[in-house]
Amino acid sequence: MRTHRWTSLPEVAQQLRELIRDSMQGSQSPHCSAGARSDLVQRFDLLVVELFRLQFEANTAYRAFCEARGSAPGPITHWTQIPFLPVAAFKELDCTTLLEDQRTRVFHSSGTTRAKPSRHFHNEQSLESYEASILPWFKKHLLPDFDSWRGRLFGGPLEPPDFLILTPPPALCPNSSLAHMFEVVRREHAPTSSPFSGKIATDGSWSLNKPTIETALNQAVDFFRPLFILGTAFSFVELADHLLSGNKAVVLPAGSRALETGGYKGRSRSMPKHQLYSMITKTLGIPGNNIVSEYGMSELSSQAYDSTAAIGTEEPRQAPAVPRAARAFHFPPWTRSRIVSPEDGKEVLPGQIGILQVFDMANIFSVSALQTEDLAQRLDEGFELLGRAPLSEPRGCSLNQVETPR
Amino acid sequence: MNLPNYFFADLPPDASFSPMLVLDACHTLRRNRERFLSPRSTTQMIRLLAALADNWTEPDFPFRKFLLAESPKETGFSPQTLASGLDSLFKSITIDSLTGLVRQELGHDLRLDEMRGSEETHTKSAMAVGPELMVHVTAGNLPSPGIVSIILGLLLRSAQFIKCSSDHPLALRLFAHSIYDADPKLGACLEVAAWKGGNQICEPPLFDQADIVTATGSDETLESIRRNVPSKTRIVSHGHKVSFAYLSRDAMSGYKVRRWAEGAATDVAAWDQQGCLSPHVIYVQEGGEVNAGKFAEMLADQLARLEQLEPRAPLPVQESAAIAARRSFYEVRASHSPDTLQWRSPESTAWTVVFENDPQFQISCLNRFIYVKPVLDLQHLLKHAELVREKVSTVGLAALDDEARLLAHQLARWGVSRVCRVGKMQTPPLAWRQDGRPVLTDLLRWCDWESGS
Repeated sequence: MRTHRWTSLPEVAQQLRELIRDSMQGSQSPHCSAGARSDLVQRFDLLVVELFRLQFEANTAYRAFCEARGSAPGPITHWTQIPFLPVAAFKELDCTTLLEDQRTRVFHSSGTTRAKPSRHFHNEQSLESYEASILPWFKKHLLPDFDSWRGRLFGGPLEPPDFLILTPPPALCPNSSLAHMFEVVRREHAPTSSPFSGKIATDGSWSLNKPTIETALNQAVDFFRPLFILGTAFSFVELADHLLSGNKAVVLPAGSRALETGGYKGRSRSMPKHQLYSMITKTLGIPGNNIVSEYGMSELSSQAYDSTAAIGTEEPRQAPAVPRAARAFHFPPWTRSRIVSPEDGKEVLPGQIGILQVFDMANIFSVSALQTEDLAQRLDEGFELLGRAPLSEPRGCSLNQVETPR
Repeated sequence: MNLPNYFFADLPPDASFSPMLVLDACHTLRRNRERFLSPRSTTQMIRLLAALADNWTEPDFPFRKFLLAESPKETGFSPQTLASGLDSLFKSITIDSLTGLVRQELGHDLRLDEMRGSEETHTKSAMAVGPELMVHVTAGNLPSPGIVSIILGLLLRSAQFIKCSSDHPLALRLFAHSIYDADPKLGACLEVAAWKGGNQICEPPLFDQADIVTATGSDETLESIRRNVPSKTRIVSHGHKVSFAYLSRDAMSGYKVRRWAEGAATDVAAWDQQGCLSPHVIYVQEGGEVNAGKFAEMLADQLARLEQLEPRAPLPVQESAAIAARRSFYEVRASHSPDTLQWRSPESTAWTVVFENDPQFQISCLNRFIYVKPVLDLQHLLKHAELVREKVSTVGLAALDDEARLLAHQLARWGVSRVCRVGKMQTPPLAWRQDGRPVLTDLLRWCDWESGS
């Protein structure tokens, strides 16, 4: 057992980056030895203890919560013993280790327009951890074949795939962690010309800039260039509705992919996932095995994905449009998650439903142990999302509030 | 207990209905009413209904025993909670209360039987006539509103088609069977069916046949029913309502406080807080011997005690998750501010008391989740309940007699339709005017007879 102690959060952040790098190189490889795996777990466990101690010391809001529960760092040896802070705390309190003058960026969550939004504060360092967590897990699920991609299409070198992003650009919504995440992956993987095609109405709601989208779709088809479309579930519904009503459905070139994320939240009509997938296939020609769902929230720095895009660009068109029953979501190896019973807080058995808790190591400068408001079913590996616990936030009698995405 | 296949609700759950089946049932109901129900007198009906209600309070009554034995699976309530709810309900149905109801509503015991004048004039008489066919659409798993509807319908000698919730139809089904068992000819004037609300195959033809439709449910449910009911047909609907309690300063002293806490706990626990009469918030006036925070603690003790006697039903995970999420929210608040405190059942979501030093009315997530809040006085309270003003049903009061009269007056002016003592919120008398509306006269038709020359 290592005995090294890290004395500051930036040091832990450095350790995290190394852990991420080694996890992606190590455990993901089929040749990874059991010894290497257990080394990664040991490093994780060690970091957890240190990270909790440092967050407890530097995050006043979290500390008060832990103390009210009678928890302190001393006896903690495992992530499951750490108090999981309800994400609702991000609405009420400054859940951060950053001092006020260090908070250069803040992400707001899906709050309601009238209710207080969640606030997850960041600075350059914390964004670095955030991005360090976003990129490898995105690449693993959306671009598993990225490194070999160039030579594959038509035998010649190719530019990276174009992205079409259905959120407004980060400059228009600096408080959206989703737009930021899309910007991070676009910067890493796509040509700078890849557009953000969302716009913001005066009431703050998001909608699509349809001409931009049509141009991007037509170009992809005309130049036979695969397109990666990234957006919220409701933006895909809006897009599909638009294409259907205008008789403008397209069949994007093979290798095109879609990433959909985060529920509907009353924004457009909602629909079951398999129906959404069929609609995407029908209007954009992207088969179900090239549609990936992501789960994330502004309070977290890591994301879960429910599948890996089909490798290769010459996928058969007849690939199933409807995803396998219950594709399981997985968070990356530098996190831990569990589903607990709302009755007694204990972990549920596989097959049972409960509340999702996530220990996100990449939340270095805020709080790592978070209890979400989402219901999930525990599967043998990973989990299936079932949506938000109803009435989680007391709201007086006001109903039908407009929600804004994370 | 083997129930005969007598009602639609006795058929297997996957049985399908056709419009023709519904129409046939309605025609049979009307015919049977004409033969078996119309000829009976009010006195006969009252005796029969009171005897039936009395049977339902007997622990050995087979229908009651069967219902309790099938709980909570088939009813959504623990057997103890259900038994307690049934007792309060059926004890309120007696010869006296039924006679009193007819007198209160119609001015004379015999107005449903013959032309009757008032005391002052003999030249002007009137008679009340019940509808031939009533259709009841009952919502949720609370059986009491449906049972009362059936009793009122029988009192008015109406044939009745009861559409109950597809989740928990057993209570109404058994109540109808108990009528059939007591008097098969009366049972022949009832039909009970369970299907998912909004069924477009059965509901339009059913509503088309009805002389009157009574409905309870959410605003959305009621709106969708209204769309399917022909304009000629009267609808008596009761939307979702909320209730709260107010404990005045003078009541918050001495040995009585404990009794108020017991009463408040009874109000919260009854029907697992599912009814419109269940309190969401208990307001405590400041300045008494026992303050709101202390009262919240006493209430928590009482809820813990009640949980032993009348446990809350097991919940679907979505509902317990709603409680867990709300508890988390207040746990965060409580860890930072003395203005919020929380008491909760250990290792379960059975009951929760949240004290908040903020008078704003708050909708509870129910299932025995109650807020306790301090206020300066009733005016202060009403100012902070303005958002639900149109939606308040009952206010439970704890106050000395003179003050109680004054408070009830203020509440009546503000828009409340029922004021009672804390501890009695869930046990309204039979003649209670729900939503401030008459009990019988909304359902029937008058015939005036001007006999003078």
